[in-house]
Amino acid sequence: MTLVTAPMVGKVLSVAVNVGDRVEEDDTVVVIEAMKMEVPIVAPASGVIKEIKAAPGQMVESEAVLAVIE
Amino acid sequence: MPKTKRELTKKLQDLEQKALRGDERAIAKQHSGGKLTARERIEKLLDPGTFIEEFMLAETASTDFGMASRKRPTDGVIAGYGKINGRTVYLFAQDFTVIAGTVGSAHAEKIAYVIDSARKIGVPVIGLYDSAGARIQEGLDVTKSIGKIFFQNAITSGTVPQISAIMGPCIGVAAYSPALTDFIVMVKGTSQMFITGPSVIKEVTGEDVSMEDLGGSKVHSEVSGVADLVAANDEECLRQIRTLMDYMPANATQTPPRLPGSDDPNRLIEDMDAVVPEDTKKPYDIRLVIRRIADNGEFLEIKPRWARNVVIGFARLDGRSVGFVANQPMFLAGSLDVDCSDKAARFIRFCDAFNIPIITFVDVPGYLPGTKQERGGIIRHGAKMLYAYSEATVPKITVYLRKGYGGAKQAMCTREMGADQLYVWPAVELAVMGAAGAVEVLYKKEIEQAANPDEMRKEKLEEFSERFSGPFEAVAKQYAHAAIRPEETRVRLIRALEILESKREERPRKKHGIMPV
Repeated sequence: MTLVTAPMVGKVLSVAVNVGDRVEEDDTVVVIEAMKMEVPIVAPASGVIKEIKAAPGQMVESEAVLAVIE
Repeated sequence: MPKTKRELTKKLQDLEQKALRGDERAIAKQHSGGKLTARERIEKLLDPGTFIEEFMLAETASTDFGMASRKRPTDGVIAGYGKINGRTVYLFAQDFTVIAGTVGSAHAEKIAYVIDSARKIGVPVIGLYDSAGARIQEGLDVTKSIGKIFFQNAITSGTVPQISAIMGPCIGVAAYSPALTDFIVMVKGTSQMFITGPSVIKEVTGEDVSMEDLGGSKVHSEVSGVADLVAANDEECLRQIRTLMDYMPANATQTPPRLPGSDDPNRLIEDMDAVVPEDTKKPYDIRLVIRRIADNGEFLEIKPRWARNVVIGFARLDGRSVGFVANQPMFLAGSLDVDCSDKAARFIRFCDAFNIPIITFVDVPGYLPGTKQERGGIIRHGAKMLYAYSEATVPKITVYLRKGYGGAKQAMCTREMGADQLYVWPAVELAVMGAAGAVEVLYKKEIEQAANPDEMRKEKLEEFSERFSGPFEAVAKQYAHAAIRPEETRVRLIRALEILESKREERPRKKHGIMPV
């Protein structure tokens, strides 16, 4: 099980995947806005998206879990 | 009856053949684990037929705990010298097929000797690590001998390049030897590094963890920042070392070898503008910029999967070896943090030690804010980049690609930090801080007292952005030598490197600085 976590405080702009999608390492999972930029949050390992814990507009803390990959 | 010349020669030959042949069963076991033997690795690493072995028939003098019958020639490590692309290197390769490559006194003496000799004759030293650890049978003697290795690694640092390949376990305190060298390449799946192993951890904390999860290539290339490169297998590891070596000189008194140019030094990069988005909110991969600029698009990225908000690595410009340091907008908005400061500073100091010019590409919004960074010591770690750039006397060239906000610019090598040439692209945004923050400070009263604060704020934001957009202030105030077009970046860098080849710069005489750590 791999967690996709926010590396910094920000606002979720978009979610690039759906539950059940297969992702490869480095595929974009979520995009957040931080430091006046779009910051893509990528999959640390390949697998299948099991859970999505982020929604557009949501503020997230550093290290907040955005998605879970199996 | 003294032996005849013929008998003595035969006896010697038999011993040598036996040592070279090795243990068939142990060799088969090594192969079945997906690993090459030490001798096979040496053969693949070096130019054909160039290896001369030293201390082949050395053995342990220890007789405790059954060592008298367990001793073997080489004592589990092969030492000697050979060539890589025609240049001499010294090396040692631990041999897991001989007493499990365990480190005994004789073994450790050989390694210490190799490093010492490399430094003495001014050639790089390469260590291939693959060992079950310290040879417990030899007790305190082993601790002492391993200490000798650390001392040699440490005093040799900065005199000749030291490269470590972890091609099996490199465990316990022995892991500190590669840690003292310049680059660590790990082999995926078959190499591990850790100080305290799974069984002790289980005993003390009750935690269950495998050798791989504790200290395999993934941990060290993505989390701890210990490994510089990861290879898929032994062959790739050895190939990577050969490639890496070509970017470096043999020792610190030389410059790196210049390869004959195979890429036009006057090449303009037509699509460079397209790579960096005009919208400063949009990220992009800085490596696309680096590859377009480098000879033949070749870029050896170091630590590609750790502290990814900064990119470091080697490339060539018109055949000259250079080190790149660049913000990576694709990660953490390209901001600077604790880990990337460590990553960049160490690389800058390696390049400086070995006369490799440093090219810095800047697109930085600032330092990553937050309590995690502050408590993590961003003050301590961030200072390393400032120290490393200032200390470096190699040619330093900086290019501003897009954003350059605040003090973070200093960490990316301004003229004050000693940049010999600094160029700006036309669409840069350079300011002491981002417009939003600056406006709150500068126009606090005006905004508060305005009939429509939001309108006033918006107006001031526009004014501020207008003023600090573009390269105009930078060129007017001589922060930059010139504003250049993106497509001519390669040409300008090559011309700068040409004139800077004869750059000589001194620093105040001292024993050594106290680098922030």
